[in-house]
Amino acid sequence: MASLDLVQSLHGHDDRAWSVKWNPAGTILASCGSDTKIILWMEEGGKWSAKVTLTNAHQRTVRTVAWSPTGTYLASCSFDKTICIWKRDETGAFDSIATLEGHENEVKCVAWSISGEYLASCSRDKTVWIWTCEYDDEYDCLSVLHSHTQDVKKLCWSPSEDILVSCSYDNTIKLFKDDGDDWTCVETLSGHTSTVWSVGFDHSGNRLVSCSDDQTIKIWQRLGGEGDGNFGAQGWQCVCTLGGFHDRTIFDVDWNRKNGAIASAGADDSIKIFEEDLDVRDSLREPSFRLSFSVPRAHSQDVNAVSWNPVRPNLLASCSDDGSIKIWNYTQEAR
Amino acid sequence: MDGFSGTLRLTDLNDFMAPAQECIKPVTINRIPEKGRSIKITASGDYSEVDAKGQEKKLEKAAITLSDCLACSGCVTSAETVLIQQQSVDELLRVIRENLEVPADQRRIIVASVSLQSVASLARRYRLTMRQCQQKVSGYLRSLGVDRIYDLSAASALALTESQREFVDRARRNDPGSLPMLASACPGWICYAEKTHGSWVLPYINTTKSPQQIQGALIKKYLSRADHQNPGKYYHATLMMCYDKKLEASREDFYDDVLRSREVDCVVTSLEMEQMLEKKGVLLDQVCSSDFDLLPGLSTEFYNSGGGAGGYLENILRHAARELFQYEVGPVEYKTIRNQDFRETTVTINGELKLYFAAAYGFRNIQNIVQKLKRSKCPYGFVEIMACPSACLNGGGQIRAPDAAEAKVWLQDVQELFDSLEKTDAGSNIPWLDGLYRTLRDDPSTEPSKLLHTQYHSLENKGTALNIKW
Ligand code: SF4
Repeated sequence: MASLDLVQSLHGHDDRAWSVKWNPAGTILASCGSDTKIILWMEEGGKWSAKVTLTNAHQRTVRTVAWSPTGTYLASCSFDKTICIWKRDETGAFDSIATLEGHENEVKCVAWSISGEYLASCSRDKTVWIWTCEYDDEYDCLSVLHSHTQDVKKLCWSPSEDILVSCSYDNTIKLFKDDGDDWTCVETLSGHTSTVWSVGFDHSGNRLVSCSDDQTIKIWQRLGGEGDGNFGAQGWQCVCTLGGFHDRTIFDVDWNRKNGAIASAGADDSIKIFEEDLDVRDSLREPSFRLSFSVPRAHSQDVNAVSWNPVRPNLLASCSDDGSIKIWNYTQEAR
Repeated sequence: MDGFSGTLRLTDLNDFMAPAQECIKPVTINRIPEKGRSIKITASGDYSEVDAKGQEKKLEKAAITLSDCLACSGCVTSAETVLIQQQSVDELLRVIRENLEVPADQRRIIVASVSLQSVASLARRYRLTMRQCQQKVSGYLRSLGVDRIYDLSAASALALTESQREFVDRARRNDPGSLPMLASACPGWICYAEKTHGSWVLPYINTTKSPQQIQGALIKKYLSRADHQNPGKYYHATLMMCYDKKLEASREDFYDDVLRSREVDCVVTSLEMEQMLEKKGVLLDQVCSSDFDLLPGLSTEFYNSGGGAGGYLENILRHAARELFQYEVGPVEYKTIRNQDFRETTVTINGELKLYFAAAYGFRNIQNIVQKLKRSKCPYGFVEIMACPSACLNGGGQIRAPDAAEAKVWLQDVQELFDSLEKTDAGSNIPWLDGLYRTLRDDPSTEPSKLLHTQYHSLENKGTALNIKW
């Protein structure tokens, strides 16, 4: 039997906790929330505790935090329209080194590309921005993308190349690439019937998982990608829809890049784990997923985000409107 | 509704929200206060007022003008709706038609000023040369009932010389806040600067009016004098490359309270012109040709060197090198930074960097300039800031390639057409320019420092209308 067991509840935010992210080494968990604080949690003697609290950078809710691929930089974005870049010095302390301005209103998400070369941000102003830093901690805006017609909720980069994915209140998911002079939207994925709250890649970059206010989770596959049985075709296609599991809005999904498990969470206060059914996978193009485990009352209010530890793939972090952060231990079903 | 520059689109102009939905502008409606009234929404969506006796009366819709919208920092979304009603081909045609219906001595003089960028766009569309296209556009407008047709020669020459002077003044003054000087010809950028950045950035913006507005001032103040006519007698329409120019024409600053007249009454875009031709089934190449008129005192045309954005960078660079360092700049060479819409150029004399200018087109590049400036890290003396990628030849009101895949080639064609006209450096001798200045100076109402300059207003948003959880 699979299971998801609570390791520890972390209390440090005085208001809604919006986002949790592990650093690439899996040793620090960053969280942020409506109290404008960013808290860095570390493990010591088997116990996680708040080691660093970053304050005074934002005036309003800190919506999302993101680690650079090396773990040296942390980016935070806020409803105060700004993005803040933090740098870790030799002593392990974090200093705010740059503030990126330009969005017209609430910044919803930030994400670093796998190369570390680009930082992307998105906002209620419907735009997606791509930034780069060449020298002196000076960030320049490379592109402002107007493809979405509504609030852009979440961003993520492919783990294998410089492809950016965004999702929006306009019910779509969009993919962006650099065409040489500017970034352009190369594909729009439609299928969700309401706000798409989050997207995430699998380990290969050939599959995406998305979740929505329509209470479904969708798996998308790149046609022409490796092993999809449809070599030569172009574009992405929805290959699986998981409905009937969450009965409220699903706010976040995270695809474990080590063991393939998908974690989801949302307004029904639950956390659910899905596993791909490799046995019943009849055609390469239509995978099947099953619910592996569910924690119905994982938090006492909306669960806003879930995040798998990249180095210890059994560890999952979650955060909620109830202000708490929880660390869970996932045990996969014995095969 | 497309057609605006990307910059304005970001500033929510394209949201298409009917006035009053979220409008925070208080509108005065004449009503007699009375007790016991209630408001009812009828099936057709009209608002009716029901008084104490149960009598129903349809309520007037609150009329919000475009200037109201532009002067408000609340939302700019309704601006567009209003704008399209007030400045459209239909409006122009209506004015012309009504003008022809009144007795000759009461008629207004209908003036059209045609931008070169629009000519290039139409020339590409109808496969004409620049010259042919000018003559066809002129011929067509005359056939509609337009009385005078001008290009923007005088206005561009004045815009460039005034900008050159202002730059040299600022450079000599060199107090904090005088440099960099930022270009002022693009209303998309001005609107963004006023609404989003406000007071701190405005002092850097060149106070010289854009060629469209200078042309407007020339028509209403200079031409009217020469004609011995009242300025109100002129109806002035322009043919331009973007919708943003409509917003510019609607600015309070360009409305003369005393004369009760706008410098530019109606802006029509290249695209709207094409649509009108299509709708009427007119083949532009078959229209009778006619020449443009020349404003009084002008003996030749002037087409600025330095590109579709108005040539500010190059002309100011040459003039500044001459005035400040007695140095003649050769062909201007650019270095592309990051993307083709961000270019720099320098003037180095005896190994010493003397002038460092940049052209930054499109929203992403405007961002970088503005943010650098905010952090006092902007190294440039002058920045030719324009809201559209590739600047005005690619304006939002220009005719698009029928197939989006050909957009780049189409734009190149337009560029080549534009470049095919012989261009002049504003510093070299424009035969009529001194004379024109003299005439302007002779009359206090056309004093160049007033006639050719404007000011900007901070309209920073004081919080959002919506305050939602996410
Ligand atoms: S760049 Fe030119 S075409 Fe574009 S908004 Fe500005 S003035 Fe108009």
